Amino acid sequence: MGEIIRLTGVSKTYDTGKIQVQALKPLDLVIEQGEYVAIMGSSGSGKSTLMNILGCLDRPTSGQYLLDGQDVSDKSDNELSLIRNQKIGFVFQSFNLIPRTSALKNVELPMIYARVSSKQREARARELLEKVGLGERLDHMPNEISGGQKQRVAIARALANRPPIIFADEPTGNLDSASSVEIMEIFTRLNREEGTTVVLVTHEPDIAEFADRILTFRDGRVISDVKKKGQTKGEVTA
Amino acid sequence: MFLENVKLALSAIGINKMRSFLTMLGMIIGISSVIAITAIGSSIQGVVNRQFESIGRSAIYFYVNWSMVDDYVPSEALFSVDELQELKKRFEGELVYADPDVYVTSPVRVGNAEKKIRLDGVDAGYENFADVDIIYGRMINENDVKGARPRIVLEVNSARRLFGTENAVGGQVELVIDGEAVDFTVVGVYREKETIFNQISTSDDLYAYIPYSTAPEEADPTLYIYAFLAPDVDVAETALRITDWLAQMKGMPEGYYVYESALEQQNMINDMLGVVSVAIGIIAGISLLVGGIGIMNIMLVSVTERTREIGIRKSLGARTGDILMQFLTESMIISALGGLIGTVLGVGIAAIGMTVAGVGFTMNPLVIVIAVGFSAIVGMFFGIYPARRAAKLDPIEALRYE
Ligand SMILES: Nc1ncnc2c1ncn2[C@@H]1O[C@H](COP(=O)(O)OP(=O)(O)OP(=O)(O)O)[C@@H](O)[C@H]1O
Ligand SMILES: [Mg+2]
Repeated sequence: MGEIIRLTGVSKTYDTGKIQVQALKPLDLVIEQGEYVAIMGSSGSGKSTLMNILGCLDRPTSGQYLLDGQDVSDKSDNELSLIRNQKIGFVFQSFNLIPRTSALKNVELPMIYARVSSKQREARARELLEKVGLGERLDHMPNEISGGQKQRVAIARALANRPPIIFADEPTGNLDSASSVEIMEIFTRLNREEGTTVVLVTHEPDIAEFADRILTFRDGRVISDVKKKGQTKGEVTA
Repeated sequence: MFLENVKLALSAIGINKMRSFLTMLGMIIGISSVIAITAIGSSIQGVVNRQFESIGRSAIYFYVNWSMVDDYVPSEALFSVDELQELKKRFEGELVYADPDVYVTSPVRVGNAEKKIRLDGVDAGYENFADVDIIYGRMINENDVKGARPRIVLEVNSARRLFGTENAVGGQVELVIDGEAVDFTVVGVYREKETIFNQISTSDDLYAYIPYSTAPEEADPTLYIYAFLAPDVDVAETALRITDWLAQMKGMPEGYYVYESALEQQNMINDMLGVVSVAIGIIAGISLLVGGIGIMNIMLVSVTERTREIGIRKSLGARTGDILMQFLTESMIISALGGLIGTVLGVGIAAIGMTVAGVGFTMNPLVIVIAVGFSAIVGMFFGIYPARRAAKLDPIEALRYE
């Protein structure tokens, strides 16, 4: 399988006027297609910063980012929108469903921006919601369903345009352990059955255990990169 | 995509019904008042034009310039009937009709009943130029005028009131003209076109035409000449040549005679109505400006409130143009809806007003299209700034917005 992500010397510095925070030290990282990666690390260590860059929501201060062979560092805002729409599914800790909009309509959103016809959109959204076990909740509004159900809608939405990669920043952070396991089972199934690359951030070791590779962050640096089955890539230095 | 934006806009408007309505109020008030006033204005204009139509567009008066008269008009300044004939001959083809503008009020007796009647002394052919619609018998003719025969043509309501029937041809009425009682024979009955003025002000009065020659004291000589110009002549130019000629013929100084033409008066009234329309246009502009600013204000609030939603949409692949169109569509729809409600309200007000005033109400349906379209443009214009603000939001910052 080929590479889907290649970071070369990617760093991020936040300039808040008075002080500059280097949230991400220059980083080299490769993720192969079909990998299942968990990112761990203490609060403020730069996990979300990395996820936002990987998800093309934010731009690195320096370095090169190749996503699926394309250099995304020098893309315009609209080009990044297109990449987010076609290549990336993003799942947030706080679900980020659009309020007062049914589950079905929420799942249709990425397809609206992909200019998919309304008939096809609806059919696909139904199919996806059924797949995440919400076939009965199509017309429910976000405030009418539980946290675990919201996150399942969010996952269905992330999958709408069949992206090759899913980024999830603490997807179980707001959920109880039972719902967390359900959500992780969906990700695992996606990875195993459909070969979707999954990169997720979590604080909980037993959640990270679902993944095949665990990256650990500290102070904007990866301090360990462990592949299961005894495979270790060892220390990563900047 | 457009359809999606319309649906989104309608649901956003539906979620904040009260706020949307209050936002629209500016447009509603602006558009409805403009529509009502312009509809009433154009109805009035129609009535005025119809009124002039009935007088005859080419009608014209010639008379003495009062500012050049000291105490009284000298008798040599008055026109004799012979001089009128000379005038007609001199301006043949341009001046198609002229009479000494005889207009007398007389008692009228049929049997024992006595009423008052207004008599208009005319020359033969009057009906060719004025809006006289003969429904029974005939109009005053050449022989009536030449022979000063006591013939009368009654207005239809007057005929009914005097004779109890519309067809009064052959009936006899006794009039008092120049102090003498004379029996006149009814030779015709006419109908006047209905106008706002004769409906309201003169419904009780009786009217009739007689040959001007039957009232010689009024007719010969006369201070006024009532005439019609040919329809294709330049009114101002021809009228000036006529007044010059009249002064010359009478040996009076230049400018001694003046004129007043129906066409020029009509134009004056239309000009006045035009000025009123411009004033209304300015007021309309101001109210639409105020309405537009209201829309801009609420759209800015809406963009701020929905910052997070914008962030979510962008994270899912919405482009700058998608967000821009979403908010532009919303402001356009709010504004166009306000315009539509305003139009309906304005047309309603005008229709009620015109019905109460007893004037036929007509309205060009194009006005509705223009009003709604224009409101949409106002909405778009004032929506641009908020929509651009929304479109330019950074996805990460928008997602972080609490
Ligand atoms: N927009 C920003 N402006 C300034 N500093 C920021 C900004 N976003 C993050 N930071 C800083 O960058 C560092 C890394 O933040 P980041 O959100 O990546 O941490 P994290 O590992 O995701 O933490 P957590 O586990 O709490 O989510 C922190 O010190 C944080 O204060
Ligand atoms: Mg984080």
